[in-house]
Amino acid sequence: MHLPDWVEPVARYMLETGLKETLKMSALSVTGSAVIGILLGTLLTLPFLVVRAAIRLYIEIWRGLPIIVTIFFIFFALPTFDIRFSPFTAAAVGLALWGSAQVAEATRGAVESIPREQHEAASALGFGWAGAHAHVILPQAFRRLLPPLVSLLVNVVQNTTLAAVIGVAEVLETANRSVERLQLTPPSESHALSIYGGVLVVFFVISFPLTRLAAYLERRLV
Amino acid sequence: MSTLLATFDWTIIRENLPDLARGLERTMQIWVIGIGGSTVIGVALGAARANRIPVISQLAAVYVEVIRNTPILVQIFFVFYGLPSVGYNLTPFTTAWLAVTIWGGAFNTENFRAGFEAVPFRFREAGLALGFTPLATFFQVTLPIGGRIALPSTINTYISVLKNTALLTAIGYPELTSVARSIAAVTFRDFEMITVLAVVYLTIVWTFSILIRMLEARLALPKEA
Repeated sequence: MHLPDWVEPVARYMLETGLKETLKMSALSVTGSAVIGILLGTLLTLPFLVVRAAIRLYIEIWRGLPIIVTIFFIFFALPTFDIRFSPFTAAAVGLALWGSAQVAEATRGAVESIPREQHEAASALGFGWAGAHAHVILPQAFRRLLPPLVSLLVNVVQNTTLAAVIGVAEVLETANRSVERLQLTPPSESHALSIYGGVLVVFFVISFPLTRLAAYLERRLV
Repeated sequence: MSTLLATFDWTIIRENLPDLARGLERTMQIWVIGIGGSTVIGVALGAARANRIPVISQLAAVYVEVIRNTPILVQIFFVFYGLPSVGYNLTPFTTAWLAVTIWGGAFNTENFRAGFEAVPFRFREAGLALGFTPLATFFQVTLPIGGRIALPSTINTYISVLKNTALLTAIGYPELTSVARSIAAVTFRDFEMITVLAVVYLTIVWTFSILIRMLEARLALPKEA
């Protein structure tokens, strides 16, 4: 099969520069979302009103805002207070704020879904709060958390494309630049449909197996 | 904090209030079209999925998987820049409502499918036994009950549709976020403009979240005896 001449350099740019940046940002924001989210979600089940109110506010704000507004806030508004981030960091932090809020809510649901009898049985066996959580509650909650966690992390990966709006050269932005470059250089053709179609394929190939995995885990673990 | 309040420039918000209001109006317009369109798609394809109507059911499944497994921002670019390159010229307005409707429709297809499938089979059997046609059974029995079951998740989808309208900024559609960014670009009052955005979006989203909780209590199906 012979591809048109423009395809090879564009594909190379999008995969070598763009996809690398997308995967780097995904790794950072997925890790941040999972770690912070599970921690906050577990703390949310504690009977300390002030802690719970603070975490609840964190969740409702970062879950309620469109992610792009959060990213704009970090990238454009925080410099007012001399807090400056690179576009890459601003986008990764914005995604982690949103992702961690989502994961925290899912974690709270999972921990609270463990029946009271499990807590009672654990204390009857002499476990304290920490021991009961480490050995009895959290291992069971984690099984229930896993399917929604995988779906949420797929969403975080998809939303790394929002970084294109502030100019991070991830897959979508390298696609934008390629479309523009091909339009501005002779023979000045538009290949927008194939190039953005290619971006859709890249994300589908990453996301589809993971959403299938989430569905499989849901059948197996819950 | 005191310096923040001292430097917060209310006049910039007041002076640009008409533009911001126009932006919010466009956001709401796209949102309302998105809610309507995604509900129609969701009910129709959700019913096709739940009843395993050949061909339509499979096509709907492909549609749902493609939309759910690709980023909406790429979908927006695909429609806005991709379709004109093969001769379909769309205005920013058409792209705007089309993109959020296609996205919401896919999520609503799943919401309604799950809702319809949760309606016990004997309810439909009862409808058919009373002489209702299959279509009448759907509208009189499956839709009212399944729609109630699906309602919380569909409202969540509507909230996501609203948040997705903010992405239309990337194609320059002058909805609220886009307008606020433009004002910030010429006045350098980024903090004030982001504050406006945050207040407006959170007010709408939180109102709807409270609404879900109230509806869940009101519309919960009676416990079976």
